[in-house]
Amino acid sequence: MADQPKPPAGAAVAGRGPWRLALGRLTRNRIALAFLGLFALIVVFALGAPLWAEHVADTGPNATHTLEKVEVDGEAREVVDPSGHPVGPLWFGADGKFFLGADGRLGRDEMVRLMYGGRTSLFIALTSALITTFLAVALGLLAGYYRGWTDTLISRALDVIWAFPVLLLAIALGIALAVGGLQIGPLTIPSGSIWIPILIIGGVLIPYTARPVRGQVLSLREKDFVEAAIAQGAGPMRVMLGELLPNLASTIIVFFTINVANNMLLESALSFLGVGVQPPDASWGTMIAAGNDLITSAPLLTILPGTMILLTVLSLNVIGDALRDALDPKAKIRLEAHAGLAEPEGTPV
Amino acid sequence: MKKLGAVPAVVCLIAVALSLSSCGSSGGKEGGTLHGTYASFPDSLDPALARTVEAWTAMYATYVPLLTYAHENGQAGSKVVPGLAESLPRISKDGKTYTLTLRKGIKYSDGTPVKASDFKASVERMFKLNSGGSFFYTSIVGAEKFAETKSGGIPGIKTDDKTGKITIELVEPRSSFTSELALMYVTVLPADTPVKNLTADPPPGTGPYEIVKTEPGRSWSYDRNPQWEKNNATLMPEVPNGHVDKIDIKVVSNPSTQVNEVERGSSDWMQTTLPSDLYNKVKEKYEGSQFRIEPTISTYFFWMNTTKPPFDDLKVRQAVNYALNGAAMERIYAGSMKAIQQILPPGMPGYEEYELYPYDMAKAKKLIAEASPSDRDITVWTNDENPNNEATAYYQDVLNKLGFNAKLKEINAEDYFTLTGNLSTPDLDTGWLDWYEDYPHPNDFFQPLLAGESIRSQENGNYAQIDDPKLNAKIAKLASEPLGPKQEAEYADLDREYMELAPWASYGTRTVSTFVSSDIDLGQVVFNPTFGQDLASFQFK
Repeated sequence: MADQPKPPAGAAVAGRGPWRLALGRLTRNRIALAFLGLFALIVVFALGAPLWAEHVADTGPNATHTLEKVEVDGEAREVVDPSGHPVGPLWFGADGKFFLGADGRLGRDEMVRLMYGGRTSLFIALTSALITTFLAVALGLLAGYYRGWTDTLISRALDVIWAFPVLLLAIALGIALAVGGLQIGPLTIPSGSIWIPILIIGGVLIPYTARPVRGQVLSLREKDFVEAAIAQGAGPMRVMLGELLPNLASTIIVFFTINVANNMLLESALSFLGVGVQPPDASWGTMIAAGNDLITSAPLLTILPGTMILLTVLSLNVIGDALRDALDPKAKIRLEAHAGLAEPEGTPV
Repeated sequence: MKKLGAVPAVVCLIAVALSLSSCGSSGGKEGGTLHGTYASFPDSLDPALARTVEAWTAMYATYVPLLTYAHENGQAGSKVVPGLAESLPRISKDGKTYTLTLRKGIKYSDGTPVKASDFKASVERMFKLNSGGSFFYTSIVGAEKFAETKSGGIPGIKTDDKTGKITIELVEPRSSFTSELALMYVTVLPADTPVKNLTADPPPGTGPYEIVKTEPGRSWSYDRNPQWEKNNATLMPEVPNGHVDKIDIKVVSNPSTQVNEVERGSSDWMQTTLPSDLYNKVKEKYEGSQFRIEPTISTYFFWMNTTKPPFDDLKVRQAVNYALNGAAMERIYAGSMKAIQQILPPGMPGYEEYELYPYDMAKAKKLIAEASPSDRDITVWTNDENPNNEATAYYQDVLNKLGFNAKLKEINAEDYFTLTGNLSTPDLDTGWLDWYEDYPHPNDFFQPLLAGESIRSQENGNYAQIDDPKLNAKIAKLASEPLGPKQEAEYADLDREYMELAPWASYGTRTVSTFVSSDIDLGQVVFNPTFGQDLASFQFK
């Protein structure tokens, strides 16, 4: 650690908690901030879909315009020409209509679909990451805290899922649920629902988070503060939620971020293969699949959603890495905090 | 005998030589391996179960029924010619007894001799498998009962292995039965062929090629049938010898990639019709040399389940017909479709053009308002082949514009017919279908698709589940009469009567294409109207 100026005698020591320190480290990481800004822009882009659709494009994401014409600089142009080729990007030539052109022979507005596709892809990625993280943390806590039969049961169940390649398992589940949907007790999810890919993606990735969480719980379980809590009469729930969970927070945050990125890729792959989001609903994966048929004559239809996936996943990965870097030295921070050696502001760590 | 003079004799010799050269070899190479691609794996490579043109294309040069279709282009290819039978059937005066005799000496590709009793076993196997084609043969005496019980044999088929004689008794005359004997469903297979779907291990056949390796979903390969040159070729002159030695077919799901492979020469032929965005480009560049447009006798349509709301209401079905714009469909298919609004397509006897539902969205909405359907949640089924899936997405949008809450359900092409043909599949409200002629008789578009008897719990053919007793009786009556001008006129009337009930929203008839690499002699490639490209006709230059 760099030399620190000593506080004046008699002055109170201005200590900072680990979260504030982590935030400080994160805000000093300019690349991470740039990608955080990029991700925020992508989210705003996706959330703005209904506004753009209603006030600019004047059409919905699935509305077809095969035989319609659009006026560009006073000249009427066919949205889809007789050979089936869609109009290219018109930018603001038609007051924002078909800003990025039409999506193919159905003449749907590519910009509107790209924005709605973003909503779908982000919603699936975020929701499934929440499911994955919640279940993985719960299972990891139970297995690591109770150990014994509970651990064996949970770990072997996770091994079963782990034994399948993620994409293969997700495809198999997607195909199985493609026709009849999902029915678990009173819960019925019709096939074609967006919740089918969410549950599939959320489910197949659980072991990849639950395993490290369990490992960390096994380690934390042996720490003095856990034993102290138990000695003070804390029950299992209080130990798990009050003592262990806060100490897992940084791990969970990092995993969540990475899960969002991975889930987005998985959703795109499943939708591309026809077992994720069902057409004609737009997601970036289904848009790549649809554009694939026109790859030679209208490559933009594939490049645009592909680029959006690339930027989103890249930004999430950079943010995840930065979070990990910011949160990683937690043990050292705790020791310092216990010893009353909190870092003054601006000190590099 | 009068002798020929010297000069006329020379002229004759030259003429004979010229005629021989034009009729015989085209001058292309014999041998080599043909590499082809399909967009999806055929629905089955078991001849008793295959229902699609894609599958029949794959089996045309492998399996030969008692009768077959001439391996010719266009109308000439609609002619029924002897296959394993010596000649066309002898039909009794009452039209109910068909007698055929098996050619002697024919062997399956595994060396087993073909017996007359194999035909009976093959027909029974087809019924035991609940084949989608079994309804063509329920007019055989005892077949209907056998279809239910699956035991006791079909008494209407009598065979004599010694003489090779096969006698088929029908319950009532059926004018299309000769054509139906030439379909793949009743191809003759060894009597001990297992009663299960043999797509993964196709049974031995009698044609010039045998399927030697299959990886369902991915690829399949052919070798020359070792028995063809030894025995079968000379016995079945109507079936041509193949030119290439081996054929490898693989599934390439992206049609653009298929086009690219053919252009580069890494593939010699793509079975799939060209993707719409490349259609005109390829046509301009290769028409005549590597590309050819093939007319088909086909109808593309959306069926509506007439037994369930909202399509149990005639007004709703008529509204859908008014709302569907044929011009949009022509554009979606980018030049490979002609809009029609009827059952029978151009080229089929009985076809008379009419337009019952000219595009009129206002009228469609008015009909919906009158019907005021309480159930507006609709599932729209389609397979994932482009542009059929796009046509269905357009149809879904039309339904939504009519005020429905239509959800699209896209199923991969290999499973599509199995799923939608199973009546226990939930939410079979409406969906896409195409139908290509099995044989050049209008009954082929009515009985399998619209007759009440074709409603089956599995392998259903009547997707609209329309069961109108009056029209069923008309189908049966016309099927029993020899096809002539009077019957053709009645079929035209029947077409209109059905479309007045609007079980379908028909939208077009399609041309397909043959696209081959520069190494293949396009002029030699035969496109049969029933079976598609004849693999035996492909020849390297």
